Parts: sequence; C-alpha cells; structure tokens
Amino acid sequence: MRKFLLAVLLLTLAVVAFSGSRVTITMTAGAVGKELEVLYAQLDVFMKQNPNIKVSVMPMPNSSTERHDLYVTYLASGEKEPTVLMLDVIWPAEFAPYLEDLTADKDYFELNKFLPGTVKAATVNGRIVAIPWFTDAGLLYYRKDLLEKYGFKNPPKTWDELVQMAKTITTKEKNMVGFVWQGARYEGLVCDFMEYLVSFGGDVLDEQGNVIINSPAAVKALQFMVDLIYTHKVSPQAVTTYMEEEARRAFQNGQAVFMRNWPYAWSLLNDPKESKVAGKVGVAPLPAGPGGKSAATLGGWMLGINKNATPEEKEAAKKLIKFLTSYEQQLYKAVNAGQNPTMVDVYKDSALKKAAPFMVELYGMFINAVPRPRTAKYSEISDVIQKYVHAALTKQTTPQKAIEDMAKELNKVLGK
Amino acid sequence: MKAKTKETVVAWGMVLPALLVISVIAFFPLFKTFYDSFFEFGLRPDIEKKFVGLKNYIDLFHDERFLATLKTTVIFTVVSVALETVFGLLIAVIVNQPFKFRGTVRAAMLIPWAIPTAISSQMWKWMFNDQGGIMTKFLEKLNIIEPGFPILGSPNTALWAIIAVDVWKTTPFMALLILAGLQLIPEELYEAARIDGANLLQRFTKITLPMLSSTIAVALIFRTLDALRVFDVVFIMTRGSVGTETLAVYNRVLLMDRAFTGAWFGYGSALSVIIFLLISIFAIIYIKSLKLKLD
Repeated sequence: MRKFLLAVLLLTLAVVAFSGSRVTITMTAGAVGKELEVLYAQLDVFMKQNPNIKVSVMPMPNSSTERHDLYVTYLASGEKEPTVLMLDVIWPAEFAPYLEDLTADKDYFELNKFLPGTVKAATVNGRIVAIPWFTDAGLLYYRKDLLEKYGFKNPPKTWDELVQMAKTITTKEKNMVGFVWQGARYEGLVCDFMEYLVSFGGDVLDEQGNVIINSPAAVKALQFMVDLIYTHKVSPQAVTTYMEEEARRAFQNGQAVFMRNWPYAWSLLNDPKESKVAGKVGVAPLPAGPGGKSAATLGGWMLGINKNATPEEKEAAKKLIKFLTSYEQQLYKAVNAGQNPTMVDVYKDSALKKAAPFMVELYGMFINAVPRPRTAKYSEISDVIQKYVHAALTKQTTPQKAIEDMAKELNKVLGK
Repeated sequence: MKAKTKETVVAWGMVLPALLVISVIAFFPLFKTFYDSFFEFGLRPDIEKKFVGLKNYIDLFHDERFLATLKTTVIFTVVSVALETVFGLLIAVIVNQPFKFRGTVRAAMLIPWAIPTAISSQMWKWMFNDQGGIMTKFLEKLNIIEPGFPILGSPNTALWAIIAVDVWKTTPFMALLILAGLQLIPEELYEAARIDGANLLQRFTKITLPMLSSTIAVALIFRTLDALRVFDVVFIMTRGSVGTETLAVYNRVLLMDRAFTGAWFGYGSALSVIIFLLISIFAIIYIKSLKLKLD
C-alpha cells in the first residue's frame, strides 16, 4: 500500500513538473509578403529553446484598418487573448489603456540599442507600451533597366523629374503605366499623402497639436497627386483603388516604371519565381518637392502585451518579444522578409548589406522618416484625411475645397 | 380543466428555453442599444458616460455624412430589390415549367446565393479590377468604358457595380421563394381559365400574380430588410469610398474606428436605432399595403 501511494505521489509530481508550467500564448501577426512564413520559422526556434511555452499565431488581414477593427473587439471585450499584439506605429496612444506598461523592463529589452524614433513612437505619456519590431518608410522603386535604356543615369530627384521620365518611357514602351502608389481610401492613403504634403512644405499638425493643414503648400501637394492621374496621366485612374499589394502586383508584372511602396516589396520583387522584374529593380528615396525637400512616412509595427493576460502569460510574452526583437532575429527577419530592423547595430551587419543593400545605404532616410500625427484621436484624423484626399483624387471635389473642408473637420475632431 | 393547466405548463416549459435564448441574443442587445443611444460615451476607460437625451438623434440629422449614407442606402435598397423581384419572378416562372434537367437547373441557379458574401464580393472585386479583371476587359471590348477605367474607383459606376453584384447574388433567393409560391397554385385554376378562353397574359395577371402576392410580400420584406443594413458587399468592394457608403458602413466607422478615440459609441448606437426604425417602417408599409396576414 505504501509503495502504491509513493508511486501515485511520484506520478503526480511528474505530471505537475512537466505540464503545470506549460503556458500557451497567442500572438497576432500580419501576412504581407513573406512575413508570416518568416515568423513561423522564428517561432519554431523559440519553442525549441523554451519548451514550456507554446505560441499560437492568429494571422491578421493585410489591411491595417481591418486589423484595427479586430483589436477593438478583442480589447473592448476584456479577453486575455491575444496575449501579444502586433501594433501599427500609429496605435499606441489609442490602445495604451489596454496595454501592459513595459517601462520597468526597458533594460531587459535593451531599448537603448533601438532607433530612438521607434522607441518614441512606442511611448505614451512617458509610459513604454510596446517594443518596436520593425520599422518602415516609403520608398521609390524604379525599373533600372528601363531608365538605362532611355538614357537616365539616376533615379528622379524631384517629382517633376519623375513625371518627365515616366512620360518618356511610357510613350515608347507598350502596356506600361508610369507610377503606381496607394490611392485607395484606407490608412495607406494617409501615408502617401503625408509624403507629398511634407515634401511640398506642409504638415497636418504643428508641435502644439494645432491644425495647420490649410496652407497653399497642402493645396499644391494634393493638386500634384490629382495631376499625376488626370493631367500628366502617369498614374492610372485605378490607382484610387490600389493598396500595397495591388501596386506591387502591377510593378512586379512589369506594368509600371515607378512604384511607391514599403521595404517589404524588395525581396518579393527580386524573387525570380514570382516576379518578372527580378534583378531589374532599383530603390531610391522618394523624390523631392519644389523646395528640394523629400519625405518618407514612418511606418512600422511593434509588439505589445495585452493587459488582461495572466502573470504567467505576460512573462512568457515578454520572453517571446525579447526573442523576436533580439539582434539575430531582427537580422533574420530583415534578410528574409525585407522588414527593416529597429536595432541600430543590425544596420552595420554585412549580411544585411548583402541581402538588402538599400537598407544600409538609405539608413539616414529611415531614421528621419516623418511620423503621422500623434494623438489618441488618430483614427478619427486619419478617417477625415482619407475622406477628403480620396474625394479629390476621384474628382468629387477640388484640391482647394478638399483641404479647406479637411481643416474645418480636423479642428472639429480635435475640439478646436 | 386540470389537464388543460398541465398542458399549459408543459407548453411553457417547452417554449421557455427558446424564449430565454431569444431574449439573451435578440432583445437584450436591442434594448441595450436603445438605452446607449441616449448617452454620450466611448469605450475608452477615461471617457465618462453622460446622459444626453435625444442629442445624438438631433446631431445625426445635422450630420451631412449620415444624410448622404441614408440616401445611398435607400437608392441601393430600392434599385436592388426591384431588380431582384423582377428577375426572380421571371426565373421562377421559367423553372416552374417542365423541361429536361429541371432539377439540375434549379440546383445550379442557387450557386451565387450559396457562396458566402465575403467571398463572392472579393471575387467580384477582382473581376472589376482594372488590370486583367474580366468584367473590365469585357466592358472595354464593348467600348462601354475606356481601357484602365476603375469601375470601383469612380463615383458614377461604383454603386451600380455593387448593386449588380447584389442582384447577381440574391436573385436566386427571390426565385426560390417565388418558386415555392408558384407550386402552391392549384393547376385547376389555370385549367378553368383556359376553358374560359383566357390568354397567357391574362392567366399571369389574373391568377399567378394575385395568388403570389403574399409570397412576394414575404420575399420583399426579407430582401428589403437585408438591403437596408447592407454591409459586407460594400465594405469589401469599395470600403464605402466614392459615394457608396451605406448606413451600416458608416456605423462601423463610428463603432469600430472610433471606439477608443472619443465619445462616439452613443452616437453610433443612435445610428443603429435609426436603421432599426427604418427597417420597421418598410416592414409596416409592406404588411399594410399587401394586406399580409401575419398569423
């Protein structure tokens, strides 16, 4: 009898020891380009290193607007899942009340080694609520082969040059459009608009949060976007329905000379299995406006922890985030998914220079990327900007009127 | 008497679970939405809930965006339901005739309706795509549109493209309901009419249509109620851009995009209530004008 009891005790202990400490956490992740594939490979490594943690992935829609909807549902319901949230650079202020405060773990995550701009974007009223995972900035992709063929030695430095080059090439090449970008009514339109706006010398809010959009520069910038489609005719009318992937597909099939897109497109465009333009693509900073200023919108994603998770889950989540944002994993992600590292030292790695030379060459541009307006009301501001910019692009209103109405409505949103 | 009470108890016992389920999933959200619509609040924890009475409703009718979405929703509903009824009736009459492979045709006709809307809308979005979309190519070949014209990106065509997709998708549903009604009409009526010398048109207007009126009314109610709260097909195809925003799509902006940014939740609830009232008004009009007996 005693032997039996002992056996039972040992068995119970064994069960407790092996299964009791096993934690399952969930994380949301995007599937743009190769990022999901790369994440699965990274998680395999992580779970081998940490046999007590099981990570299950919840793939999210490509559109940032739709991810936002899902997060609202998850967080408002007070659920403890997902444990780890992949957050767009514009969301921390809005979701801060639902995110675990990571300020005390600053050293654990070695945030002093990160690009300062990305850490600033993750800080809300002095609280760090997320850890920067990868950073993004708008880039100009161009067809090296075609530019050479028509005698252009360098990619365009100004928007006017871009228009000239696009016109020259598309009149001679069949079935090609000049320039594709993101003109559908969604978050990406705000990114594209910000680049024209800032390169023409305007902005949405000033440092104090006052609306300064109603300026001649803003009208000129929006007028230029409209002209790209209807006057210069270098962008197809359908650009008003394009998001990142539509633009990439057109460019990748050899149907466009120039494309505005994020760094993720690089590795896909150079994959000979999928792309018709592999090896023929160049990357440059976006062209400058009349004043000689060029601007790229700051994008990127970070990882935050759901406040409603249990303490064990939060611990596991921290380990996972630490792993995913470590030097080796950022390098792996940058090389394989083409997503820019957030850690300064990774940019000095020769492996990165070999896989994505532009990341290293354009380092200065990435760290000076222009942030979108930073406020907890960002979603509302973005909605207003999208509405009026898209109305101008589809000729439902004039750029002048669009900017005036936008300014009025932004003031209303911000209560000014 | 005693047996009857016992029967009543048993009856209530059997109905009770269903009643409970309905109150939890239907009545509770409905009353909560009504209640919420009188407050100003958001889901952000630091926004205080304030009672504002009818302010949300008054503001709604001064909101240009709301009025525009109301107009779009009504246009969408009237046009799509009218087309669906006409086509549905036509198809039902045809497949009610005996012909070879009738069963196969009846089954095949249901395919558009059987595909989940989210999937068929995405499919149609690709078909309307400017590069290689089959509808775009087709309309280009017919010289109806210029090459590269974005059907879903243009204010003059996007809403009509969406209506076309809705008609494609729900006409089978109309046809199916009407077909069921057609099969209930006794053959003797037609026989008698033929003996009296009534022609095809007379038989259709004097027998088929009157006998079908209650079936059509039910079908119309179903379709109108669905059309008034249309969301998926619009959201997937255009996200409500270029003048295609419907009430439900605007409601998503208020309840989802702005859930944590400001005090919009009460306002959004008020909009939900308006959709509910609008649907009720349409339902009452149908029931009264078609003299439908509900019991």
